[in-house]
Amino acid sequence: MKMTNKLFLIAILLGAGAVSGNADEPPIEIHKPTAYVVPIAISDFQGEVDSVLKFDLSVLGMEITSPDKAAFLIGGSQNGRLEGRLTAAGATQPLWARAYAGGVARTQAHAFANDIVKEIRGTVPIFQGRIAFRQQEGNSTEIAVSDFDGYNAKVLTRDGTLVAGPSWIPGGRELLYTSWQGGGEEILVHNMSTGKRRVFANYPGANLSPEVSPDGQKAAMILSRGGSPNLWVCNLDGSGLKQLTSTRDEDSCPTWSPDGQEICFVCRSGRAELQKVGANGGRARALRVAGVYGNMTSPDWSPDGKWIAFASGSRTFTICVVPAEGGDAQILVAGEDPCWAPNSRTLIFGRQVGNKRMLCLLDVPTKHVKDITQIPGSCSEPSWAR
Amino acid sequence: MKNANLIAMSFLSVALAAGMSGCKHRPPNTIPIPDSGRPGSNSAQTPGPGANDANPNPGGITSESIPLDNTAYADILNGPHNADAEKFKADTIYFDFDSSTIKASEESKLQEVANYFKGNTKHEALIMEGNCDERGTEKYNLSLGERRALAAREYLANLGVDPQRLKTITYGAAHPVDTARDESAWKKNRRDDFVLITPK
Repeated sequence: MKMTNKLFLIAILLGAGAVSGNADEPPIEIHKPTAYVVPIAISDFQGEVDSVLKFDLSVLGMEITSPDKAAFLIGGSQNGRLEGRLTAAGATQPLWARAYAGGVARTQAHAFANDIVKEIRGTVPIFQGRIAFRQQEGNSTEIAVSDFDGYNAKVLTRDGTLVAGPSWIPGGRELLYTSWQGGGEEILVHNMSTGKRRVFANYPGANLSPEVSPDGQKAAMILSRGGSPNLWVCNLDGSGLKQLTSTRDEDSCPTWSPDGQEICFVCRSGRAELQKVGANGGRARALRVAGVYGNMTSPDWSPDGKWIAFASGSRTFTICVVPAEGGDAQILVAGEDPCWAPNSRTLIFGRQVGNKRMLCLLDVPTKHVKDITQIPGSCSEPSWAR
Repeated sequence: MKNANLIAMSFLSVALAAGMSGCKHRPPNTIPIPDSGRPGSNSAQTPGPGANDANPNPGGITSESIPLDNTAYADILNGPHNADAEKFKADTIYFDFDSSTIKASEESKLQEVANYFKGNTKHEALIMEGNCDERGTEKYNLSLGERRALAAREYLANLGVDPQRLKTITYGAAHPVDTARDESAWKKNRRDDFVLITPK
C-alpha cells in the first residue's frame, strides 16, 4: 500500500510517465525534469555543509527557496558524520536517508549533493571533480589545480614565465600544458604524484593546445613546424607523429570525440570556424553551426558525444553549444574557454570581470551561472578532469 | 512491455528507498568518502628536469608553407648565445586587429631586417616574436601571434633570407608593451618583435 503510494508520488513529482527506449535497450526509468529550475529547501545544516549544499545544488540549476515553495526538502544532521534526507514536497516519508562518514565535512556534503542531483536530475556525480587552470601570478602565469568549486587549490608550477592550455590525461594523474620556461614553447607532461615533468613536444615553432584522446593513448596538438599552425597527433609516448591538416590556414584548439574517432578543431581562413577531421586522417570538413556569425574558438566535445561547446565572438566572447553533428547553436552566456564536466550538462568557463578573469560554472539547460569566487587572482583556461 | 519494465524499475527503486528510510530502527546506509587518490591531491612542487626526447625529422609537407627546420628555439637558447632585442627595436612591425597580414607600411622595416640579416651570417638566428592585443581568448591569441610571426618569416624568406635561420615564437597577449585598455595601447601590442641570436 505504502509502496504504491510512493510510486505514484514519484511519478507525479518527477514529471512522469514518459518512457523511451525499445526492446533492445535496457528499461529506462521515469524521465527526470532537466531544463526546469527546481526549487529546493535546505534546512538543519550549518556552516560549511550548508554552504556546500547550496553551492553544489545551484550549480545544477536548483534554486534555494523556503520549504513551502520547494519541490524537494533537504534535511538531516551533522555531527562528525553527515546524515542527509531527501524528501519530496508533501510526502511524509523521505525518498531516502543516507549517512556519509570519513573525509571532512566538505567532502561529505559534496557526496550528499551528488546523491541529491542523481535523484533529481539523473546525471552522473561531479561534485568531487578536480579542475586545472591557468592562474596569473604577477607578470607570469602558472598552472594550478583545485576542486571544481575552487577549494583546495594548489599552484603546480613556479616557473615565473608563461603557461597555456592545461589538459588532463584521463585518470587525472598527469597534466599536459604548454610552458615557455625553456625560452621557447614546449609541451610538458606533469606527473602530479611525483611532481616530475618531462618534455612531451618541443618542435620548432608553436607547440600548443595538447589534448589527450579519451582512451589516453594519443594526443592532438597544434604545431607550426610545417610552416603553418596545423593539427598533429602522436602517441602518448611521443612516437608516431602524424600531421592531420596541412593547409596554410590557422588551426587551433583540438578536442576529441568520446569514441576517439574524430577531432573537432578551429580552422581560420578569414573567419574562424569549427571543423572535424578523422583522428587517423582524411579530409577536414566544416561543422555546420547555424545562428553564430563571429569567430568560433575553444570547442569542447561533451563526454556523452552529443554536443560541442565553444566560444564565439571577436572582441568579447559568448559561450555556445551546438549538436556534435552540426545544426542550430544555442547561444548561452558571455564567456570563453568552455569545458564540459563529466555529466555533459555543466560547463566550466572563464569570463572577463574588470581587469581580471574568473572561472564560472554554467548549467546549460537552465542557463544558471555560478561564479567560483574562492580562487583569488585572475584565472582562465579551465580543464575538468574526466 | 515497456510499462511493465517501467513499473518494475520504479518498484525496485522505491523498494530500495523504502529499505533505506522506511524502517526507522535500521541504521542509514553509510557511504564512505575516499579522501586520497583524487587527481592532483598529492602533487609535489618541484619540477623534474626536462628531457628532450621527441624531435624526429620534419615530415614531408606538401603545402606552400615554408617548413621550419629541426632546431627548437629552446635548443638554441640552451647554448651559449647573445639575444639582442635592441638591434631591430625600430623595426617592430604592427598589425591590424585580428589580422596577420603584413601591411604596406611595415614592408620597409622587413626589408631593412632582411638586408642586415642576410649580410651578417655570424648571427645564428632571428627570432620573430608574435604578439596580440588583449582582446580575444587566450588560445585564439596564441594562434594569432604564431600566425603573425610566421607571416614575417615568410616575408623575409621571400626576400631571400634562409628560412632555416628564421625562428618563430608566440606570446599571445601575454607580453603587452602598453597595458592600457584602449586602442592606442592595443595597436602598439599587435606586433612582431625581432630578436637577434648570436653564438658566444
